[in-house]
Amino acid sequence: KKKVPARPETFKMQRNFTELKINGLRKKFAQKMLHKARTLIYEKAEHYHKEYRQMDRTEIRVARMARKAGNFYVPAKPKVMFLLQLLCLCQIFSGTFVKLNKASINMLRIAERYIAWGYPNLKSVNELIYQCGYGKISKKQIALTDNTLIARSLGKYGITCMEDLIHEIYTVGKCLKEANNFLWSFKLSFPQGGMKKKTIHFVESGDAGNREDQINRLITRMN
Amino acid sequence: MACACPLILMYYRKGESSGKNVTLPAVFKYPIGPDIVNFVHTNLRKKNRQPYAVSEIAGHQTSAEAWGIGRAVARIPRVQSGGTHRSGQGAFGNMCHGGQMFAPTKTWCCWHRRVNTTQKRYAVCCALAASALPALVMSKCHRIEEVPELPLVVEDKVEGCKQTKEAKHPWNYFAQCKQIEHLKLAAPGGHVGRFCIWTKSAFRKLDELYGTWRKAASLKSNYNLPMHKMNNTDLSRILKSPEIQRALRAPRKKIHCRDLKKNPLKNLRIMLKLNLYTKIMRWNTILCQARNHKLQVDKAAAAAAALEAKSDEKGVAGKKPVIGKKGKKAAVSVKKQKKPLVGKKPAATKKPAPEKTPAEKKPTTEEKKPAA
Repeated sequence: KKKVPARPETFKMQRNFTELKINGLRKKFAQKMLHKARTLIYEKAEHYHKEYRQMDRTEIRVARMARKAGNFYVPAKPKVMFLLQLLCLCQIFSGTFVKLNKASINMLRIAERYIAWGYPNLKSVNELIYQCGYGKISKKQIALTDNTLIARSLGKYGITCMEDLIHEIYTVGKCLKEANNFLWSFKLSFPQGGMKKKTIHFVESGDAGNREDQINRLITRMN
Repeated sequence: MACACPLILMYYRKGESSGKNVTLPAVFKYPIGPDIVNFVHTNLRKKNRQPYAVSEIAGHQTSAEAWGIGRAVARIPRVQSGGTHRSGQGAFGNMCHGGQMFAPTKTWCCWHRRVNTTQKRYAVCCALAASALPALVMSKCHRIEEVPELPLVVEDKVEGCKQTKEAKHPWNYFAQCKQIEHLKLAAPGGHVGRFCIWTKSAFRKLDELYGTWRKAASLKSNYNLPMHKMNNTDLSRILKSPEIQRALRAPRKKIHCRDLKKNPLKNLRIMLKLNLYTKIMRWNTILCQARNHKLQVDKAAAAAAALEAKSDEKGVAGKKPVIGKKGKKAAVSVKKQKKPLVGKKPAATKKPAPEKTPAEKKPTTEEKKPAA
C-alpha cells in the first residue's frame, strides 16, 4: 500500500473500499492456496506412511521367504548414513546425513577417529528432523517450525513439507544433496548414559567409526 | 539556508523606513560554515604574532661536567669548583635547578600561517550571511530587538553622521565596503553573527564584490560563490513531498521475531502444523489399541471361563494363578513380533509398555495383507 498524497475525502473513501475489497480477495485466495497446500501435504504424508510400511514389510517378507527356502537374504547396502562428530572443527556432537558412496566412505575412513557414523532408521531420521531440524535459509540457521520455510527453499525440488524432507533423506531421493544441504547440522547433546571411549573404534568397544545400526540407539540417547 | 526576503527595506537614521527597496545580494544566502570561519580566524590571527623565545644561553652559563661513575651519584653534569652551595649541583638538564628548559623556544618558529584565498573569502561570506540571520546575531549577544529588519540597510545620507549615536543605533566599526574583507569586522573572535549596518551603496556593491550564483565576482579575479550542499534544507518537507512519497515502497512495520521452536514429537499441535497425517496415524493407533485391548480382555475372560469350566470338572482349586502366567506368556510371544514394527510408527506416542503389546498384534495381521 503506497502513501497517497492528500486527496478529496470522497476519493479517499472510494479508494479505501476498493483496496479493502482487493485485500479481502487476496486473503481468500491465499487461504485457498494454503488449504490446497495443506491437503497436498496431508496426502503426501499418507502416501509416505504407506510407502515406509511397505518397505519395511517387504524386507521382512523377503527375509522370511529366503529363510524358508534355506537361502540368505542380504539386505541392500545402506544408502544414507548419519555422522556424529566427536571432535570437530564445527562442533562436537553435531551430526549430518551423508550419502554413502565410495567417495564418501573413503573420506570417512580418513576421519574415522573423530566421527561416529551409522545407518539411521526411519525413527531416527524422524526424530532428528522434527526435534533438531534447522534449515539454512539465506545463510541463517532457522528453525523448521513451518512447512512454508521448507517449501520456499526446496519447493523447486518438489519438497514442500517436513514429510517430504524426511522421505527424501530416508529413501535416498534424487535431490538428497539439496535436501541435505538445506538442513543445518544437527546439534545434539551428550549421549545420556555416557559414551564408552571416544578415542578407540566402536569395534574395539569404543565410540569412533562405523557402528552401522547401533547409530540409532546413539541418536536416541543424544536427542 | 537563510530564509531572507529578497527585497530589503531601507531606513533613515531615525528608524523610519525610506520606502525604497534593495535586492538582497547573493552573499547573504551563502551557506554558513562556522567551522571554516573559526579555522580561518585562528590562522589569520597568527599574522599579528611577534616572535618569542628564551635566551639562547639560558641554563648554559656554567662550566658543569659530569663526575662520571664510581662516585655513587647520578651522572648529570655538575657545577665545578667549590666554596659555594652551587658547586656540585646538577646543571644543564631540564630537570635540574637552574638548567635550561626542555626544548628551548626559538625565534625561528613558524609564527604566521597562510590560508587559501578562497577559504578566506568563504569565511567572510559566511560571516556576512550569518549577519543576516537575527537568531545568529542575537546569539552573539547583540541587542537587536528594536531593529526593524536584518540585514539593516540605511540610506547613504547616513554616511554623513559622525557618531553612531546620532543614528540611534549601536555601531562599532564604520568601514568602507571593501574593507569588509577583513574577517575581523564580520566575525570578530571567529564567531559569526555580528550586527552589521549597511549603507545603500555598500549593500549594492556586495553583488559586485562576491558575485551571485549566476555571475562571477567582477571585482575579484576568478571567484564564484560556492554551491550549497543542499539547496532546500527543509528535510521534513522534502520527505513528505509527493515526488519522493510516490517513489517509496510501503513501510515495513511488522517486526519479525524469531519463532520459538517447539518439539513436534512432544507437542501435538506443532506436529499437526507440520504433518496433518499424524493425527490420523495416532487416532488409528489409539483405535487399534482399544480394539486389541478389548480383544485381549475378551480372550482372557474366555480363557478364564474355559479354565473354570475345566477346573469345575476336575475339582482343582489352585488353577487360577496359572491363568495369569498364561496371559503373560501370550503377551511375551506377541512382544517378539512387535520389534520390527517399531520403525513403522515414526510419530508414535509414548504408551506404557504392556499396553503396547496387544495393540501391535492387530496391525500385524492387517498390514500383512497389503504387503502380500
